Amino acid sequence: MDYLGQLLANGLVLGAIYALAAVAFTLVYGVVRLVNFAFGELFMLGAFLTASLMLPEVRLLGTIVPMPGFSLPVAAAGAIALTAALGVLVDRIAYRPLRNAPRLAPLITSIAVSVVLQSLAQTVWGAEELRFPEFHLATLPPVVLFDSIYLSVMDLVVMATALAAMLGLSAFIARSSLGRAMRASAEDQMAATLVGIPVNRVVAAAFAIGSGFAALAGLLYAQTYGFAHSSMGFLPGLKALTAAVLGGIGSIPGAALGGLILGLVEALGSGYLPNGTAWKDAISFVLLVGLLYLRPQGLLGKPELNAAGRGSLLGGASEFGAAWLRAAFAKVDGGLTRAAAAGPRAALALLALAILVGLVVPSDYWLRILTMVVIYGMLASGLNVIVGFAGLLDLGFVAFWAVGSYLTSILFVLVLKDQFGVAPADIWWLLYLNLPLAGLLAAGFAVLLGTPTLRLRGDYLAIMTLGFGEIVRVVAINWMDLTNGPMGIRGIPAPNLFGIALGSPRAQFFFALALAVLVVFAIARLVRSYVGRAWVAIREDEEAAEAMGVPTARYKLYAYAASGFVGGFVGVFYAHSQQYISPLNFSLFENILLLMLVVLGGLGTFVGPFIGALIWIVFLQLALDLPFVQAYPETRFALLGVVLIVLMVFRPQGLAASARVALTMPGARPANAKEAA
Amino acid sequence: MSHTAPIVHPTALTLHPAEPLLQVAGLAVSYGRIRAVDGIDLTVEPGRIVSLVGSNGAGKTTTLMAMSGLLPLAAGRIRFAGEDITTLAPELRVARGIAHVPERRRVFAGMSVRENLVLGAYSRGDAVDIASDLERMVALFPRLGERVAQLAGTLSGGEQQMLAIARGLMSRPSLLIMDEPTMGLAPQMIDLILDTVLEIRKQGMTVLLVEQNAVEAMRLSDHVYIMRLGRIVHEDSGANIDPERVKSFYLGADS
Repeated sequence: MDYLGQLLANGLVLGAIYALAAVAFTLVYGVVRLVNFAFGELFMLGAFLTASLMLPEVRLLGTIVPMPGFSLPVAAAGAIALTAALGVLVDRIAYRPLRNAPRLAPLITSIAVSVVLQSLAQTVWGAEELRFPEFHLATLPPVVLFDSIYLSVMDLVVMATALAAMLGLSAFIARSSLGRAMRASAEDQMAATLVGIPVNRVVAAAFAIGSGFAALAGLLYAQTYGFAHSSMGFLPGLKALTAAVLGGIGSIPGAALGGLILGLVEALGSGYLPNGTAWKDAISFVLLVGLLYLRPQGLLGKPELNAAGRGSLLGGASEFGAAWLRAAFAKVDGGLTRAAAAGPRAALALLALAILVGLVVPSDYWLRILTMVVIYGMLASGLNVIVGFAGLLDLGFVAFWAVGSYLTSILFVLVLKDQFGVAPADIWWLLYLNLPLAGLLAAGFAVLLGTPTLRLRGDYLAIMTLGFGEIVRVVAINWMDLTNGPMGIRGIPAPNLFGIALGSPRAQFFFALALAVLVVFAIARLVRSYVGRAWVAIREDEEAAEAMGVPTARYKLYAYAASGFVGGFVGVFYAHSQQYISPLNFSLFENILLLMLVVLGGLGTFVGPFIGALIWIVFLQLALDLPFVQAYPETRFALLGVVLIVLMVFRPQGLAASARVALTMPGARPANAKEAA
Repeated sequence: MSHTAPIVHPTALTLHPAEPLLQVAGLAVSYGRIRAVDGIDLTVEPGRIVSLVGSNGAGKTTTLMAMSGLLPLAAGRIRFAGEDITTLAPELRVARGIAHVPERRRVFAGMSVRENLVLGAYSRGDAVDIASDLERMVALFPRLGERVAQLAGTLSGGEQQMLAIARGLMSRPSLLIMDEPTMGLAPQMIDLILDTVLEIRKQGMTVLLVEQNAVEAMRLSDHVYIMRLGRIVHEDSGANIDPERVKSFYLGADS
């Protein structure tokens, strides 16, 4: 009982913090139907700003800067105000231009904003933890309940603050004129405009309040655990989103309920399950996935909100931006369209170019980089099957990649070498067996994961797949016997063909290129078949496709399977090429990166993923020559984020919108591709 | 309906009698490459009922949405109450005295009737008069009075239309724009709504009406514009207009 009581008390503290951050997600989603992933980073900034304002001096950009040394309440108020202002600024720059854009665009910019803020925070405050200064209330003796449950005074302050903030917000939304305007804008933006509500300002207010709540949650979290770190917002951000979805996104009582449930479940899970602390993250995501399957609208949500994810992920365009800029993008699009129309000839020319490059590039260093380009291009192609062709946003794709890499590594290293003492060179053929085997395994896995998502659309689908991806990562970290845990697996043999080692960078590049030809050819065949037509139909309008008799559930599963197959297949080669894998290789960030590569190069095209990979990986290397980047390597990610935001704001349909494989009758041309003639 | 206090915006009364309340010149709207409305001229004199009729896709709703600022203009100017409002933000047009009752009513379904009405007065910022205006709306539509606490989404179609009109009137407009107020309603309800239009005109309101039902619109209106394929093809006073002529426009015969 004492133990249980203590766990419940800890769970309430954590739950209160999750609930506060969940309010941020729920409020903004309710008003503009946007999952603002950047709240995790605003959470982190709330913690850093509060800590900095409390300290007498802070090291910023490597130099000591004197700070005011406020007490916690003053510093917190300042940090909340600053974060709220930043939230409004982010809305103005990255989201407002995209109100009528394709649904994928604001999701991408929100992830990009996240990446920018996190790498900027790392640049400014450094990669180390910043110790959170102690507040004088924290030195008071803890309150003892029932003789055995210890609650520090600060824990009580955290809970009271959270409760007061949420009650205050609920009253504000229910009673005040601005609150009423928010609810009106949430229901019907056009009608709200027609009664004279300045909707953009109301949305900005929602962002300000949401960002303030995220900052409050972040500073309370940092206060409770005693530190601030640039990546501290990531997991709590996902948990808060989980809590918001659990309670029913758009509902403030729902966010409170979801936060409490999540906090309690995590506390009890880590207290009672064997090795529970390690598994607690998986528990939350299993809860999320189960709930989305059984009750997609959440506990207190309204069922129609899942419908908000309807409509094409990629369709539509924005009229935003200067005419010359739009014309320039259209020109790029036209060029890509012409290239796509050239078909096999262009593909062969490209392949010839790649072979030539592979032959003439003298440095091993650049060959390794080019091999990475091909690997990431292939992985992005796999993701492209599901996102670009079938129009289903998948944030759990890395799981399939991980399945392939782990399968081959476990077989070669942990089983055959470590258990049976078989030398890898004697079983070189196993690699070629593993390629299709891992593909099939990952495809089966993808179908398994895809089945419960069939009822979900848009943002909900993204959140559920994200949950799956995180579960796989947590399993990879914690199932020590199977995966060797966070140490990863070392000594994976380089590829080998009939006893000839293919370990040299040049050999690996050509190996990768050969696989890429296979992958692209297979995807192209599939997309040009009736399966691909069904995918495009689902992407363009799922309801219409269903009405026309396309069995959408089956074709969605095919898309998952094809995407999973590519992920597993490439994963095998990835492991042998890197010769070392660890759970860090398969994080959500990698998934997001792949998504960005696809968007950068062109969703729904065959070559786009490779173009995106080339731009990004070569940029990563070249940027290392810039003096600023040499001092602060993290800023490269911020630059990628900025590039994506700019691209999305001015060209939300992506670079290659008309080069995208579309539904066309033989002999007909898509209406928007006149240039292709 | 015995209330004598006007529900009309003060600007309508201070206006120079010779100047039209609304003046639209050369208005054009495009959706991407498609020009939906192509250079229309239109004038609404104060205290009149003016209607815009035409078949589906003629561009009537697009025209209204451009007037209230929901769609950007490709060309043309809009003058309202002696001021050029061509580039004015939509919410500021409400404050200037234009109320737009949109197609398919669009009441805030998850809010009570009272909240819908209070939101109608959002642009006014004078909390004092809102209570008396609520009473006036209840007097105009007694059915709403019985349902002030009810969620708007649970009202019948006709009641939602009443609410949408009342919500528009809560901003104390000088011009009430109504888009298809009788769409999908029972015949009795259509009569009631159209009688209300006449009633509020009697109280001094200027009305710009879009109606599918051209016969009713002509009976009601002081002036009728007929639209076809994004242009105004005919206009005349409501009494003079020839129903056969109208029919030919609807059926798509050459004008």
